[in-house]
Amino acid sequence: MLFLPSWATDCLKRRDHELKGPLALYERIKGGLRLAALDAEAARMGLRVGQNLADARAMLPGLTVREIDRPLLEAIFADFADWHSNASPLVAVMQDVTAFGDLVLDITGVAHLFGGERPMLRLLLSRLRDLGYTVAGAIAPTIGAAWAVSHFARSQVVEADALEAILDALPVNALRLSDSQSSGLIHMGLRSIGQIRGRDRKALQARFGVSLLERLDQAYGLLEERMTPRLPLAERYAERRFADPIGLMDDVLMCAQDLAVQLGLRLETEGLGGQTFHLFLYRVDHKVMALSVNSARLTRDPHHIAKLFSNRSERLEGEYDPGFGIDMIRLAVSSIGVLDAAQMGAFNTEDGIEDLDQLQDRMSSRLGTLAVLRTQFVASHIPERAVRLVPALVHEPAAPPPVAELTRPLRLLPVPEPIAINAEVPDGLPASMIWRRVAYRLLKASGPERLGAEWWRTGQRLQLVPPPVPKKPEPGEKPEPPPHIPDLALFDPEAMTRDYYMAEDGEGRRFWIYRQGLEGETRWYLHGFFA
Amino acid sequence: MSAPDRQQRIAALRDTIADIEKKPALAEAFAQPVVESSGFPVLAGGLSQEIFTDERRHAGAVLGFALGQARSLVTQRRPAVIYLQLSKDGQEMGLPYGPGLVSFGFNPDALVLVRPANMAELLWAAEEALACKAVAAVVADIAEHHKILDFTASRRLNLRASSTGCSIYLLRYGTRREASAAQLRWRLTPTRSARKRFDPLAPGAPRWRAQLEKGTLLKQQTEWLLGWTQNGFTTLDAAHRLAPQAPLSGAVPAQLGHRLPQTA
Repeated sequence: MLFLPSWATDCLKRRDHELKGPLALYERIKGGLRLAALDAEAARMGLRVGQNLADARAMLPGLTVREIDRPLLEAIFADFADWHSNASPLVAVMQDVTAFGDLVLDITGVAHLFGGERPMLRLLLSRLRDLGYTVAGAIAPTIGAAWAVSHFARSQVVEADALEAILDALPVNALRLSDSQSSGLIHMGLRSIGQIRGRDRKALQARFGVSLLERLDQAYGLLEERMTPRLPLAERYAERRFADPIGLMDDVLMCAQDLAVQLGLRLETEGLGGQTFHLFLYRVDHKVMALSVNSARLTRDPHHIAKLFSNRSERLEGEYDPGFGIDMIRLAVSSIGVLDAAQMGAFNTEDGIEDLDQLQDRMSSRLGTLAVLRTQFVASHIPERAVRLVPALVHEPAAPPPVAELTRPLRLLPVPEPIAINAEVPDGLPASMIWRRVAYRLLKASGPERLGAEWWRTGQRLQLVPPPVPKKPEPGEKPEPPPHIPDLALFDPEAMTRDYYMAEDGEGRRFWIYRQGLEGETRWYLHGFFA
Repeated sequence: MSAPDRQQRIAALRDTIADIEKKPALAEAFAQPVVESSGFPVLAGGLSQEIFTDERRHAGAVLGFALGQARSLVTQRRPAVIYLQLSKDGQEMGLPYGPGLVSFGFNPDALVLVRPANMAELLWAAEEALACKAVAAVVADIAEHHKILDFTASRRLNLRASSTGCSIYLLRYGTRREASAAQLRWRLTPTRSARKRFDPLAPGAPRWRAQLEKGTLLKQQTEWLLGWTQNGFTTLDAAHRLAPQAPLSGAVPAQLGHRLPQTA
């Protein structure tokens, strides 16, 4: 666990060297301007988070203030977190207390690479301190304990047998409690964690809720706590570090090909293949760029992998920004499965399925997965719902194809276009049509083929946007009236029933048109073209 | 001298001239087609064809003609047909529709739809698809004229197609003809459909009128009236012939580096 108490201000100071002296970031909360983050100097002067900005200015006339930009800071912190994956592959941002400031690294099985836990912690802390960040850190058997120690004790490595002794002495705030919980506990005279641990659990739960007990158990390791790593978990990877940072995309791709060969050899010795490949580019200025490509089938073919990345990079264009250079590249593979070595036989009949999959991979990696599509049938009688276009890489069972006897057009318009139709007799075959401002005389027509709407939706209301959950009004605040969202009309199957006609004009153009609605207001649409 | 004889002589003479000029013979010379009993030639793979139609509202007819030809190329070894269309043209031209393919007689599982964002990517995708050993045919639906699709680009596609044996059909619209290296150029117009049994008012099986504007097939025959059955194309006899259409002006020859026109 790494704790960066004044990361927000440190980060701004690094970005803008003009910022000097005590710095505070404020936030607009309910009309008041309150402090949201402080640097070390301001904190030493007695300011605290949540204070009124005017009070703070009065206490400290030389204070520099800026408005906080939370989304920007969160994004930068996420990049900062990703950069730490050069120490351990599992890095998470702990968002329990604030969206930035706490980093969790799972260093199981990693510490020996840095010469043990103590040197590793020293390295992680010192390299951040060199960059000008205020940082504290702790290595402990549980996430809760590491958080507590890093926030409320000096930076240290907590061994499993010393865990209880150290935790018992820490104040109750170290359990990541809400303000009301911790103030309630202090009110009761329970100041340290050790005091809570001896109390009756049922009474504690009744008074403070189950979350207190959860936090307690998580800190002592009685309850498992999980972290959500930011980067996809990769079991196997190959990486290369550069003495001098590189910048050109071509160099990156060449390196990716080298790494693909290394990774391919490793996978081959283990008899494995992967489906998803990630290329992580570690920039010198603490940012990580990730490129991911998918393959339709398990593969370890370095040429194929390298080709996918080079196609993917064509689609980056302006997004690729090496900044001051890239000093490490890692190629990781996930979705691993068993891929046995296949012998090239002299008498094998070569079917093209594998080539086709590779072609689809290459196209999807350059054009995007939503640009390479396949028809999938759905069990529905509504023409536009009977078919779904799915990415060609997806292989899942679908409904059987419809029978060939149905008259269906070769091309379908994604959205039917309104037309004007005249018939010689009411409800007769259509005789003339106006579509896209051109008139057509329809000489032949057949129909109608009546397709009823889905009666099981009768009386239901379609909702385009789910209504927001009403907020609980704070005491002393007027409850807000819910925003007005106009309702769509109730679904009426009669009004949506369609009569389809196939019509042909004098020059042999064949159209698929339909009339919507049974009685009253009926409308005509053009839906497709026949061969 | 009969026509095939003469063609052979001309081909031999061309080779001689190419030898003299130290230029290789055209790589994309194609084998003579097999004529089925129905009368319409079944073309082998590796051809590049342009299928022109005068108006965009004939989009259904050209797609039917291209898929009807591509269907005979699909085999166990080459199971796929790639359909390319710019993503912005989807609403105007319509997308191939699965149940419609089934009723036309084309297996919808064989068709892969590719929708690139611009013409350069479409040409890239066409070339990649042509290079693939598992693709039987590529159908590129190009609604507009694009500057990037010039003689050089079509020659590239042509060479790629003839080297791998995968056919490409370029569906084009309008009456303007540009220089291109395609071996065959069709002008296709839909015509009144066949009579439907038991229902004279209803449209029947589709019919097309196909005029060969460039390239030669079958003893210089340049015009066919085609019908469609589940087994493939049928040709209709001269009694069904329509009045001749006004001819279009030919393609503008491409100006290449050595100033020799390369197209008919």
